[in-house]
Amino acid sequence: MSQSIVINGKTYPIDVDEDMPLLWFLRDHLALTGTKYGCGSGLCGACTVHVNGQAVRSCVTPIKTLRNQKITTIEGLSNNGDHPLQKAWLENKVPQCGYCQAGQIMNAASLLAENPMPSDDEIETAMQGNICRCGTYQRIKKAISDAAITLKKEA
Amino acid sequence: MNTNKISRRNFLKNTSIAAGGLFVSVVIPASPLVEKGIIEAKASDTSLNAFIHIADNGDTTIYCGRCEMGQGISTALPAAVADEMEADWQRVKVKQGDADEKYGPQGTGGSASIRIMYQPMREAGAKAKAMLIAAAAKVWKTSPENCIAQSHFVINQLNQQKLGYGELASIAANMPIPEQVTLKNKSEFNYIGKNLPRHDQSEVVVGKRIYGVDVKIPNLKYAAIIHCPVLGGKLKSLDKSEALKRKGVLAVVEIPRFDVPFGSIGGVAVVATNTWIAQQAAKQLKIAWDLGKNANYDTQEYKKQLVNNVEHAGVVTAERGNIKQAFNEAKHIVKATYTGGHLSHAPIEPNASVVWVQPHRCEVWASTQSPVDIQNVLGQYLKRDPKEIIVHVAMAGGAFGRKYKCDYVHEAAVISEKTGFPIQLIWSREEDMRTGYYHSINAQHIEASMDEQGNVTGWLHRAAFPSISTLFNPSLVRPTARNLDDINNHLFGIENFRCESGEAKAHTRIGWYRAVYAIFYGFAFGTFADELAHKANKDTFTFLNQIFDNNHNLQQQSDVQRAKKVLATVAESSAWFDRDKLPQGQGIGLAVHYSFQSFVAMAVHVEVKGDDIRVLNVDCAIDCGQVLNTDGATAQMEGAVVMGMSLALSTEITFREGAVVNSNFHNYPVLRINAMPNVNVHIVHSDFSPTGLGEPGVAPFAPALSNAVYAASKKRYRDLPFKPLAV
Ligand code: FES
Ligand code: FES
Repeated sequence: MSQSIVINGKTYPIDVDEDMPLLWFLRDHLALTGTKYGCGSGLCGACTVHVNGQAVRSCVTPIKTLRNQKITTIEGLSNNGDHPLQKAWLENKVPQCGYCQAGQIMNAASLLAENPMPSDDEIETAMQGNICRCGTYQRIKKAISDAAITLKKEA
Repeated sequence: MNTNKISRRNFLKNTSIAAGGLFVSVVIPASPLVEKGIIEAKASDTSLNAFIHIADNGDTTIYCGRCEMGQGISTALPAAVADEMEADWQRVKVKQGDADEKYGPQGTGGSASIRIMYQPMREAGAKAKAMLIAAAAKVWKTSPENCIAQSHFVINQLNQQKLGYGELASIAANMPIPEQVTLKNKSEFNYIGKNLPRHDQSEVVVGKRIYGVDVKIPNLKYAAIIHCPVLGGKLKSLDKSEALKRKGVLAVVEIPRFDVPFGSIGGVAVVATNTWIAQQAAKQLKIAWDLGKNANYDTQEYKKQLVNNVEHAGVVTAERGNIKQAFNEAKHIVKATYTGGHLSHAPIEPNASVVWVQPHRCEVWASTQSPVDIQNVLGQYLKRDPKEIIVHVAMAGGAFGRKYKCDYVHEAAVISEKTGFPIQLIWSREEDMRTGYYHSINAQHIEASMDEQGNVTGWLHRAAFPSISTLFNPSLVRPTARNLDDINNHLFGIENFRCESGEAKAHTRIGWYRAVYAIFYGFAFGTFADELAHKANKDTFTFLNQIFDNNHNLQQQSDVQRAKKVLATVAESSAWFDRDKLPQGQGIGLAVHYSFQSFVAMAVHVEVKGDDIRVLNVDCAIDCGQVLNTDGATAQMEGAVVMGMSLALSTEITFREGAVVNSNFHNYPVLRINAMPNVNVHIVHSDFSPTGLGEPGVAPFAPALSNAVYAASKKRYRDLPFKPLAV
C-alpha cells in the first residue's frame, strides 16, 4: 500500500509514520526548511502551508490526512519569488528576522485567494493566528493591501 | 551611563593576500558586556579585526562578525564599509563570519554593534579604498592625488582612464597600509544614512534563508530534550523503556547540569531519526527529579517580598545632596511602588543548533548571539582549546538576548559526544518557555519631594530584582551598585538623591532580555514623573521639561537637550497639544527614556472602554546620532513598540512550586496583529557618533501607555503587565 502526497507539484511516497505532522516530513525528510517550527500546537502560524490552496498549520496536520492532496509550501508559492505578496513584502521591507514570514505570506496568500480585497479588519482577523515576535505587523498589513491592489490591476 | 570610555584608537593591523584578493583588517575596541560591567574584561578582547575581500572579477565580500538576528546589522555595517571604499553595493555580498577573534568582539548585545564597529568598519573601507587608489596610481605611474575612486572603479582624473576594483585587487594587496585615512563627509555618503534594503530579504520571502534550525549535514540525527524544571535540581530516576521501544528512536542521553553561566540546566534527551519522533518519545520518558533548593519558588509570593523589601530601607548604593532636608522642606511628598514580572524572550525560532563532536574536531552550526561563548563553554566541557571549536554563525530567527546564552549548543554537544552522531537539537516551545533565562522580576519604590512650584527637590529610589550578575556570581543577594547605575545617572539628575538596593535572591536563571533593566527603570521613572505632574497640577510635557531644565549636572547638559528634543518631537507630531479635543475615553501619554546611549520618546494614544485598552497610535522619536539605515532604524522602533506592548499588557512568566507554569503562546500571549497600533517613527537627525537601536525603543512604551490610560480613565497601572493572564 504505497501512499503518496503531492508537494509543490512533485509526488512523494509517504514512507514515514503516518501520524507524523506534515511539518516534520517537509523539514526532516524532504529538507524543505522554508516551513518553520514555532510552537507545534497551532498557535503561531510559522508552519503555515496550503492544502489545495487553503492555509493549514502543518505542525498539527498528520500526514495521513493528506494522502493524494496537493500541498504548496513557501518554496512552491511562485516560480521566481514573484507572487504579488512576495513582491509587496520586499517593497515594504517587511521581514526583520524573517522567521515567521513564510507562514505570514502563505496565510496571506490563502486570504487573498478567498477575499481579493480584504478590509483592514478582515486582514487583522485572518492574520491573527500568525505571530511575529519581531513586530512587523504594520508592514504586513500594508503589504497585503498593496498586493491586493496589484492583483486587482492584473485581473 | 558609563559606557563611552572605550578607546577609539582603531587602526589597520595587517593585510594578507588571499587567492587573488585583498583582505583588510582593523583593530576594534572592547565588547559591550565588558562596557556594561556584565563580564570582566580580558586582555584578548582588544586585539581584533574585520574583513573585506575583493576577487579578481571585482566581486566583493564583506564579512560581518556581529550576529544577525533580524536587527539588520549585517546590512548596516557592511554598507558603511562599502560606502567608504566606494564599492558598488550591487557587487557586494555579505557573509556572516564564523567565530574568530579576527572579526573583533562578536558577542552581539547591549545595542553595541554600531556603537563600537561603525568607526573601525568605515576605516577598513577607507583604507581599502586608499590601497586600491595606490595600486591604480602605480599602474598609471601617476600620483594617487590624481586618482579618485567611484563605484567600484579607480579613475585617473588627468585622462579619465579607469581600472576596476577586480583588476586592482591583487596589486592593492601589496600596497602599504595607510597609517591614516580621511573618512567621508556626511554629504558624500552613498549608503550610510540612506534607505538601503536588507541584503537578505529576497531569500526570506521564498523560504531560502537558512536559520540555525534549518541546518542539515550528512547523517544528521535529531534530538529533543526535557529539562529539569527547577534550577539546581537533578535527575532522581529515569525509565526510558517506553521511549526506546518507539520506532526510530536511537538513544536516550542524560545531560547533567553543567554549572557554568551558559551550560545546560540539566535534562534528558532522546535521539531519533527525525525531530517529531524525538519529541514524541521524549514525552514517553518517565522522569523523577530531585528538585533541590528552589523547589518552592513562587513568583506571586516572591513579588510580594520584593515589594516589602523596597518599601523598607535597603542598602544605600549612591547618595548626593541632602535628601533628608529636601523631604523636610517639601510642599508635597509623593510615593509609589512599581513592579514587573519575569519575561521569556520567546523568539519564534526556538533554540536550535547542529553539533558534531568527533575525536579531533568539533563543529557547530548555531543561531547564536555569541559564538565565542559557545567556544568557551564547549572548550570547558570537552576539555579542548576553545579556539579549536569551529562555530558557524547561522541567522537567528529572533533572539532578543536569549541566544547569547547557548546552553542548547552545549546540550547538543553532550548528545553528540555521547552518541557519536552529528546532532540537531531543537528545543520544543514548551521547554523554551519553561526552562529559559528570564528577565528579572522586579519591584521599585520611589519617594519624591516637590516644592510650591512643582520643582522636584528630592528623590529616593529603591530597587529590588534578582540580578543578571547572579549568573556569574550566584551568591549575590541583591542588585549590585553597578546594576543600579542607570538610576543614579538618570537624566532627571535630581539634586538631592538616594538610591538603595533591596534584597532579591535569584531562584531561576536570570538573563538579559531586549532592553534589560531599562524596561523597569523606564517604567518607574516615566510613570512616576506623570504621577508627579498630576500632583503638581501641571501637564506632563511641561513638567518633564521643568525637571530637565532643573538638571544642572554639567556632564549631562547635551544629553538633556537631546532628550528634550525627542520629547518635543512626539508631543508635536501626536495629538498631545490637542488632547482636550479627544473624545471621551481617549488619552495620550508621554514618556522619554535614555538607554544604551540612545534617546527615545513616545506618545501613546489610547482608547479605554471599561477594562479594555486599545492602543490607537504611537508616535516615536529617536536620536541615535548618525543613523546608518533609516529603514532599519524605523523597523527597530516598530518592533520595540510591539515588544513593549506585549510586556506592558500581557506577557509574564509565572513560577509555582519552583517551575514555570506557562508553556506555549496560549498562556504567554505575545501581541498579535489585531492589537497592532499605527506607529509613526520620527528620526531626529544629529551629528553625534552613532549609537544602537535594538533595545532603546522598548523602555518608553510601557510608561507612556500607563500615562495614556490614566489620562483616558484616571486608572493608574503600576504593575507590569497591566492585564496578567491567570495561569
Ligand atoms: S508551529 Fe505550527 S502553528 Fe506554530
Ligand atoms: S520577522 Fe521575526 S518573527 Fe516575524
